Amino acid sequence: MILGNNKNVRVLDGGGRRKRPASGLAPECPAIDSRPRRCGVSVIVLISIALLCASAGLWLPGNPAYMDFDAISAPPGAGHPFGTDQLGRDLFRMVFYGGRVSLFIGIVAAGVTALIAVVYGAVSGLAGKFADDVMMRATELLLSIPSILYVVSLQAIIGRPTALSIALVIGVTSWMNIAKIVRSEVRQLRRSEYVTAAAISGAKLSYLLRRHLFPNFLPPILFMVISNVGQAIIAEATLSFIGIGLPQNVVSWGTLIALSQDALLTNSWWIILIPVAFLITVLVCIANIGESFRTAGAAPTSYLI
Amino acid sequence: MKAVSVGLNLPRQKGFHLRRGDRKSDIVYSAGIRALQFAVFIFLLSVIVFVLARLSPGDPLAAYYGEAVEHMSTAQKDAAAARLSLDRPIIEQYIAWLKGALHGDFGISYQYKQPVTDVIGKLWPNTLALGGLAYVSTFALSIPLGIFCASRGGSFADRALCRVGAASSVVPAFFIALIFILVFAVGLHILPSGGAYSLGGGGAADRAIHLVMPVAVMIISHLWYYSYMIRGKIIEELHKDYVLLLRVKGLSRTRILYRHCLKNALPMLVTIMAVSVPHIIAGTYVVELVFGYPGLGTLTFESARLHDYNMLSVMTLLTGAVVIAANIAGQEISELLDPRMRHDFEMSVDDEEVAV
Repeated sequence: MILGNNKNVRVLDGGGRRKRPASGLAPECPAIDSRPRRCGVSVIVLISIALLCASAGLWLPGNPAYMDFDAISAPPGAGHPFGTDQLGRDLFRMVFYGGRVSLFIGIVAAGVTALIAVVYGAVSGLAGKFADDVMMRATELLLSIPSILYVVSLQAIIGRPTALSIALVIGVTSWMNIAKIVRSEVRQLRRSEYVTAAAISGAKLSYLLRRHLFPNFLPPILFMVISNVGQAIIAEATLSFIGIGLPQNVVSWGTLIALSQDALLTNSWWIILIPVAFLITVLVCIANIGESFRTAGAAPTSYLI
Repeated sequence: MKAVSVGLNLPRQKGFHLRRGDRKSDIVYSAGIRALQFAVFIFLLSVIVFVLARLSPGDPLAAYYGEAVEHMSTAQKDAAAARLSLDRPIIEQYIAWLKGALHGDFGISYQYKQPVTDVIGKLWPNTLALGGLAYVSTFALSIPLGIFCASRGGSFADRALCRVGAASSVVPAFFIALIFILVFAVGLHILPSGGAYSLGGGGAADRAIHLVMPVAVMIISHLWYYSYMIRGKIIEELHKDYVLLLRVKGLSRTRILYRHCLKNALPMLVTIMAVSVPHIIAGTYVVELVFGYPGLGTLTFESARLHDYNMLSVMTLLTGAVVIAANIAGQEISELLDPRMRHDFEMSVDDEEVAV
């Protein structure tokens, strides 16, 4: 390991006994509290927000970009539960329509990331030493540039951004860490006896991958894939805020939060706080769900009694 | 690949960690290897950056000379294109670009109408001040916090900090910055809302005041991420058998923690600090932009927005070079602190494989 990675560092422990890391994730912290964290509330909140956003077209018909010139920068009130922005657009409608775009970007980006990472990591893990070395050096090289710079460069090359192009760009630029974990899981698994037994009985590579390897490295990477959804949503918000993400006329949580730069001057607190409250609620839920996947394998209590 | 070979590889012999004379020549040797690694990585990075820049839409001549292209005669354009080897295959173009780059000639910024190196030369001290300060203070706070939580793992204080920290780390940095501006600049008027210095000003005190908010935002948005990581590493250390042995021998908890566990965890901390560099740089860039702080981050994002590809590619190359250098330095330092790390870095894969 020549170059580390910025997120989710997998630092090696000082040799000796190596527990199977608490699900292979990164700041591998063997949780002291060994009870798996419950995440029921997070799941319910997340699913209801997602459903409300996805079905916004059904229960909240109308164009989110509709401008009501009688109510410009109106505070939350009867007609507009969340108030309106400087153009008179209804914030309530925009939050749910925007959530649709943001969640879409998060899920598509995480899906693309997971796909590339699993394929790349599995190939690298199963390949011979030389190919494996080359592939791992390549990921380290790619990791040496903060991913926001890749996203910015690719976005600049693509030109007019759409939700799909942003999701793809974010997905294509953030698979490296997961790929490294998949690879080391695969290298660990390929040594195990049941894999050897299956190989000797004539199992094909694709069969091994599908039936033996994939089900086993899935739990360790699940946490990372889930938190990737959150990271992609943050990335979209940051890009839109910076002004190189979605154009202002496309409503997403990112572009909504970007509105708050102007809202600062007019002191419209609702524009600043409400979209972010939704964003943070979703991110906290995602983080909680991810966390509950990773506290599964817990370590014994500390010896520093 | 034949399926049968799966699972039949024996742990490989590694030559790298065999004893090789005294420690000093060891260090010189590994420093040489590292320098070579650095050169190779920078070279590959420059290839990626060059290809990305050439993929970008628009006339490369315009990207290189800016608006001056419009005033050139056809003969001048041809001469310039020939000088940049634009009429040649991309490999020769790359060689020509590399030659210029080795002489410090990275072309002209489309946006500033100046050599790229001049623009960067003026701005990098600002970014170094902000990023460096943020980096040092983040770790100055997160190491003690991580140790505190680890030593009281599972206690109320630890759990409370974990909860608060986890919540704080999902808030996007730019939003924290926005709230800070709202509270301290717009509301209370005690701090400037952005920039690196006041108009006409520029003294040390003035600059320091302008750094307060950006650095605070950087600390808040990175503190828990690293505290949690450090907490995890130290808890891992506390689970080792020697801790139990020392405890049985009657050493105090403090002594075990600070004299033994911390000493063992130190190389790991250095590694974390090294790999955190790209994360902190990316954070600095975003925070700079939100505060309108004149630095490399603002420059990078503006270049992207205004399609100044030449500037963007040089910035990418520069950032990559800093990160690679930091990683190599971090690895070297942690090996100096603990020679076992050399072994571990090499053996990491096999360790995992054998452990099953």
